[in-house]
Amino acid sequence: MNLCEAEKTFILHGVEENFRVDGRERSQYRPMELETNVVAHAFGSSRLRLANTDVLVAVKIETDVPSVDQPDEGKIEFFVDCSANATPDFEGRGGEELATEIANSLTSAYRSTKAFNLSKLCILKGRKCWKLYVDILLLECGGNLYDAVSLAVKAALWNTDIPRVLAVNLDGNNVEMEVSDNIHECVKLDIVPAPVMVTISKIGEQCVVDPSAAEEQCATASMVVAVSQDRFTTVLQSGSGSLHPSTLRESLKLGLEIGSKLDQALIEVLKQKPAKKQIGFLM
Amino acid sequence: MPTDNKRIAGPEDSISYRLFKETSNESVLSKINNLKNNIRSDGRKTNEQRKIFLKCGVVSQAKGSAYFEVDNTKLIVSVYDPREIPKKTDYSLKGELFCIFKYAPFSCPNRRGHQQDAEEKQHSAIMKRALESAVCRHEFPNFQVDVYVLVLENDGSALSGAITAAGIALAQAGIPMYDTITSATLAIQGSTKLLDPTLEEEALCTIATHKSDTETGYDSHGIIVLAILSTHEQISEFYQLGNLNLDTLNESISILMNATKEIVPLVEKCLVDYVNKTFKANGQS
Repeated sequence: MNLCEAEKTFILHGVEENFRVDGRERSQYRPMELETNVVAHAFGSSRLRLANTDVLVAVKIETDVPSVDQPDEGKIEFFVDCSANATPDFEGRGGEELATEIANSLTSAYRSTKAFNLSKLCILKGRKCWKLYVDILLLECGGNLYDAVSLAVKAALWNTDIPRVLAVNLDGNNVEMEVSDNIHECVKLDIVPAPVMVTISKIGEQCVVDPSAAEEQCATASMVVAVSQDRFTTVLQSGSGSLHPSTLRESLKLGLEIGSKLDQALIEVLKQKPAKKQIGFLM
Repeated sequence: MPTDNKRIAGPEDSISYRLFKETSNESVLSKINNLKNNIRSDGRKTNEQRKIFLKCGVVSQAKGSAYFEVDNTKLIVSVYDPREIPKKTDYSLKGELFCIFKYAPFSCPNRRGHQQDAEEKQHSAIMKRALESAVCRHEFPNFQVDVYVLVLENDGSALSGAITAAGIALAQAGIPMYDTITSATLAIQGSTKLLDPTLEEEALCTIATHKSDTETGYDSHGIIVLAILSTHEQISEFYQLGNLNLDTLNESISILMNATKEIVPLVEKCLVDYVNKTFKANGQS
């Protein structure tokens, strides 16, 4: 999407008046739709629709050998796929740069043990651990990808069931595990402290959250902050552009405030969700 | 990326011998406690940077180049002239920067591969973002400037060093710029903030520790890299890792702003020296 100068000025004036093009205030989000447990073959999944942004996240679990320098920790890996369905720009390798940028930001946001404790994923120290593959599919891009992706990832991890390991035997160098065959007997991860990302864009003199695709084009600079329990796990800039230190401080404060609210709202919604839909006559 | 099969990649899954060294948990914890009590292993104060050595014009083939050294962190940046953006169909009004950040295979305690890994790619992206706002990109539409960074030895703060050095190299190459760009790193463990951390300090500051033996809550920890255009007071890149609260972050911004200001005269002197030398050489011939 390309905007002409007049359109940009229109958006800019709207932000200045605290009345954005879609009627929102500067610190207001667009409505969101969240579904969990949508992919049958995944251990946990979610789909988030934030106005025109559509993200599908699925978590797959495999066993792996822990890395040698972190023998008592499991692994988590993020992979972002920019589908060409979203915009024709993603065709071929076009979306690769954006995909690695989002995946890297998630990796750094989840890196602190306080935000996400990998030691829960260890099965046998130095021998076996769970590895979570978090696959993120961008189905439609309507701006504010970081926020949508981080919320969907948190919801998918919340939804993830890890099979219960009943016993682990060490037979020579072979690790044998016995996994519960009852599909309802699963372990849940502690996802409450997992980070939520908020993008703050500086448009004109003001900072706004949740920019739409058109507003992203008018932004002179954008910050992405990952907030976990009132603390920052990652701060980075998205796109080129620079900020004055006072704007930076201001946007960090705004990001923290909005991030905490967003996190609370998400956890509330996730807690409301029924643990499992019961379908069929046998259960 | 096509795999480079002419190079010997080394065994696929080798393990660093360092892991077998007798290091107990306690030694790591005592090191962290030392840091928390503001004691650094090289005797520096917490807000003291290591001495910086800068030189430009070190690669004769490149349009602009710079060598950066602080103690054991050594790196070379070279900048090549603008060239047309390859494989581009549409016309872009603004020129682009193309950054490659690479650790030499022998630069870190563990051997690095010849191809860029995820961390190096991320560093490249950070550099690109930091430098793009320093360069007048509208001056060379539809062209790209290549910036290559090679870290010869890594002893912490390599990324911020690379950004500072790249600023010098770009200036020497005659790429139009708005301002000099300088960058600094801050590592945080507990309430201690260490400016210009070494590799060991960086590693220690990525570990979350308990506040004290009795409490279960975690202390703050993290690493911040800040790049700034000093005369315009514009922060062109801010990158943070770890787990920090707002107050710590605000304090860190002030510390880093001061630290980057201290580097500016060095950068300016380096460039002035280079200009003087070139003039003298031209005058003689």
